[in-house]
Amino acid sequence: MILATVAEEPAHGYAILQHLKQRSSGAFDLAEGTIYPALHRLERDGLLSSSWSTDSGRRRRVYRVTRAGTSSLEVRRREWKQFAKAIEAVMG
Amino acid sequence: MSWLDELSLELCARGVPRRERTRIVIELDDHIACEPGCEDRLGDPRALAASFGDELATSAARTSALVSFAALAVAAVVLIVSQLTLAGFSHYPGYSNGLSMLLFLPALPGMVVAPQIALVAGTLAAWRALRRRRVARLPAQEIALIHRRARVALAAGFATMAGLELYVIDFSQRLPAWWLGLVGGLAAVAGVGLLAASRTRMRAGAIISGTGGQAGDIYDDLPVPGWRRLRARPWVLGALASVAAGLALGAFEGHAEHSVFEGLQRGTFEGLAAAVGFVVLGRAIGVRPAPPPAESAVPAERSVPPS
Repeated sequence: MILATVAEEPAHGYAILQHLKQRSSGAFDLAEGTIYPALHRLERDGLLSSSWSTDSGRRRRVYRVTRAGTSSLEVRRREWKQFAKAIEAVMG
Repeated sequence: MSWLDELSLELCARGVPRRERTRIVIELDDHIACEPGCEDRLGDPRALAASFGDELATSAARTSALVSFAALAVAAVVLIVSQLTLAGFSHYPGYSNGLSMLLFLPALPGMVVAPQIALVAGTLAAWRALRRRRVARLPAQEIALIHRRARVALAAGFATMAGLELYVIDFSQRLPAWWLGLVGGLAAVAGVGLLAASRTRMRAGAIISGTGGQAGDIYDDLPVPGWRRLRARPWVLGALASVAAGLALGAFEGHAEHSVFEGLQRGTFEGLAAAVGFVVLGRAIGVRPAPPPAESAVPAERSVPPS
């Protein structure tokens, strides 16, 4: 979900979280801080890259999807669609 | 104390490196600035710091194992080059023709035994790191095992390069200057590489993980069918490995030296050395079963005191 959000446009942690909340109509009620270890992990895995920017004199870490991240996102989307289709077929 | 101060202290207590710590605090500071008063929704700073610590400890342990393996590979190439060029000389200097036996006696185990320890421990450390590369949080005990393997391997790598340098000094009046310069220089370069790898390993080892779970052992690392049954009888594995190492080296040396006696002599030494290695280092590098698990998943000296 983080990859899908950042794939739309580069964003910082708070913006990613707001986007996720908005898109899911508030369905994901996690501790907000948990997004940061996830972002760092995705960056270590080479799926995201990040750089510093400045906004109103404040330093901000902005994340963007890498080429490997885009490929990984495509694979995950395909898998999710297959899975959702199978569940839909069973549940009706 | 503010939420951010508490987070910073918790990250520090978990050994998260300063660079990472600063980045995390700046990111969370920006998050709070976007919506003042949202600290409650960020979660417990202690739990968040633990999450960062667990993942960083895992990632750093894997990296340090692979860096150690790379540094050991360079040292192995240096040792091989030294032995191949030495074998090319028409007059092999022999062991007793150097400056002093006091130089040769420590050089011999350094050049013969230590490389084998480095090979086994370094390969096991790198293999565990590769095998578990997709796991975000390894158990603290498993991270400790990777570090122990890398530490033993690096120490053995240092001993090998030191042995080579002692050999160079011992035969400084017998061997050609180009060989002494080449091998002495290459061993020094490899030693610097090992030193750099040791620093990486020490920095990685300073990060504390609190993830529970077992370390696993060699039976988990090498998927040989049916051999997990040996776990209950570790001494059988030790005996088998020692006999196999002795037979392999004995056959090789006997053939190379065209002497059954030489083969027997060196094969016996190799077998005994392997048995001693199994007893002395087996538990540290996870080829002998670990003692019964402690009550806590995190060793007492590495657990974080409550803030």
